[in-house]
Amino acid sequence: MMRVSDTVGLALHNLFLHKVRSVLTSLGVIFGVGSVIAMLAISEGAKRAALEQIEAMGIDKIIVFTQQPAAASSSEGSGRAGMVRQYGLNGVDLAHLRALDNVKHVTTVTNTRKPILRGLQPTELNLVGADPGFLEDSGSTIAEGRWFSSLDMRNNAYVCVIGSDVKRTLFTLGQRGIVGSSLRIENNYYRIIGILDNSRGTQYPGLSSPNTMILLPSSTAKVAYDGYSFAREGSSYKITKVRYDLMLVTVEHLEFIDNTSRRLRNYMEKAHRAQRDWGMTVPQDLLKQREATQNIFTIVMSSIAGISLIVGGIGIMNIMLASVYERRKEIGTRLALGAQKSDILRQFLVETVFLTTLGGVLGIGLGIGIAKTITLYSKMPTQYSLWSILLSLGIASLVGVVFGTYPAWKAAQQNPITVLRAE
Amino acid sequence: MEQPTPIVRLENIRKTYDSGDLSVEVLKGINVVVRPGLFVGILGTSGSGKSTLLNILGLLDVPSSGIYELDGIRVDTMNDDQLAAERNRKIGFIFQSFNLFPHLTIEQNVEVPMVYGRMPRRQRRPRALELLDMVRLGHRLGHRPSQLSGGECQRVAIARSLANSPSFLLADEPTGNLDEATSDEIMKLFHSLNQSGVTIIMVTHNPSLESHFDMVIRMRDGRTDAL
Repeated sequence: MMRVSDTVGLALHNLFLHKVRSVLTSLGVIFGVGSVIAMLAISEGAKRAALEQIEAMGIDKIIVFTQQPAAASSSEGSGRAGMVRQYGLNGVDLAHLRALDNVKHVTTVTNTRKPILRGLQPTELNLVGADPGFLEDSGSTIAEGRWFSSLDMRNNAYVCVIGSDVKRTLFTLGQRGIVGSSLRIENNYYRIIGILDNSRGTQYPGLSSPNTMILLPSSTAKVAYDGYSFAREGSSYKITKVRYDLMLVTVEHLEFIDNTSRRLRNYMEKAHRAQRDWGMTVPQDLLKQREATQNIFTIVMSSIAGISLIVGGIGIMNIMLASVYERRKEIGTRLALGAQKSDILRQFLVETVFLTTLGGVLGIGLGIGIAKTITLYSKMPTQYSLWSILLSLGIASLVGVVFGTYPAWKAAQQNPITVLRAE
Repeated sequence: MEQPTPIVRLENIRKTYDSGDLSVEVLKGINVVVRPGLFVGILGTSGSGKSTLLNILGLLDVPSSGIYELDGIRVDTMNDDQLAAERNRKIGFIFQSFNLFPHLTIEQNVEVPMVYGRMPRRQRRPRALELLDMVRLGHRLGHRPSQLSGGECQRVAIARSLANSPSFLLADEPTGNLDEATSDEIMKLFHSLNQSGVTIIMVTHNPSLESHFDMVIRMRDGRTDAL
């Protein structure tokens, strides 16, 4: 029996003998492994991004928000002018949520729905009233100045904290003395006391990022606007009243968040039976949902990668079978010189495994290239790990074993008498 | 005087090929004894069964019945792996068309039987050098078979056949692909090897080589008439 080092040496020798053929032969595996790597990189990147986004909302939070009910189902005469159309979260809800078991605290945000103009251009910014707990609960920080004090709250002070996007939209770049200056919104002047920054990428339904908010103390907002907003719809004016747009419910114990969110949902469904004017998001549930979606994506992609690996493997099997035929005289001579059948078997099997592993190495390069290109052109985040590289190499070798066995067996079955006579 | 153990002893070797309903008896009871140091020629026309006898002698084929002793050990009952090991250690094959590996250097070609004999790497090269020196090709170690003439190729093959110091050389028409002058040269090499004690069994259909042999086994219709 041949030494292992000799078997390996012979296999390498044969592969390098036909460099172009070796690469062409392993092309199927190159693409198969390339797609495995790219697939894992995309799925890992998407998972990471989703996780960040969901974590940005806070994993220990239940987010309840106001949704504009569908006009058709509204019973409050949405078509008629001058009617006050009231919907959404209200004070009763707030009291109930605060009273739920396992609820640590609830922070509210109310959107005044005042259009914020930059010159005469409407902007995407929101003027909102927020509880003092909002800064922490939204995972934001104060970049400059300060956050609301209890004094601001108690005095209904005409102060505001602006998000970093607000600063960018309303002020020129590099402008100094923003904190301390006054912001005029309609006929009210608010002194800017701080600049808020949310770097976690938090997004709330209907309100987008805290960075786009001009935040007033909730008490000030209530006095100044009382949740009324006037909207012009066609030729008629409509008044809508929404007490709260957002409630950030923080739970005491994360392990019971499922239970708490179920009770919360039950309450809301009962209390708002008349119209569906609310919604809720549990970041943890979203996380689970994302994972489920991700798994489907991974299964689909794996199937595609798997098929290309099978096709690649069959291609290699084909070439190896041809190679066995082409080298039958060599096989016969080796047998005559004292090679055992198992030596021949191993020689061809090792050669195939090396071929597919080589394909794996090239495929990893290709996969990383694909992933990088995708990131470059689509901004889709991709992430590849040592784990995925090792997995791909393992798969490539396995393809070699699976599809190399038959040609190797065929090689070992060659009859030296007939093949030695063949020309 | 005690006779030395024969290298090869064949006793009533028969070989029958079955193909469905048809069965052909190719060897019809061969009895041969080859003593060490002989230069044996197996002569016969094609179809006489000499190829089959060669395959059996070379352990590439097994007899249907009969006894084959190699160095006093029965080999007709061995399994494939044992036969491979015997071929590797005891038989030096030489082929009509040389059967060198075209992608290996001549030195690597000579090393192949040593590789299958698990000889440590360090010992292979000196042994190959020694053998190639003996066939006067020590200066062309790095050449490949395609860079050599037919006679040189056959000399490499002879060096290869001697790699594991076998019990006998088994040459199948070794001069069949060579011109007359080169044939003479190769036959001379066989003679000098034989002089130094190597047992050689050569199969040929060429009656003009008969004068070279110490012992001639003439094959006709599956039987021998050993002289």
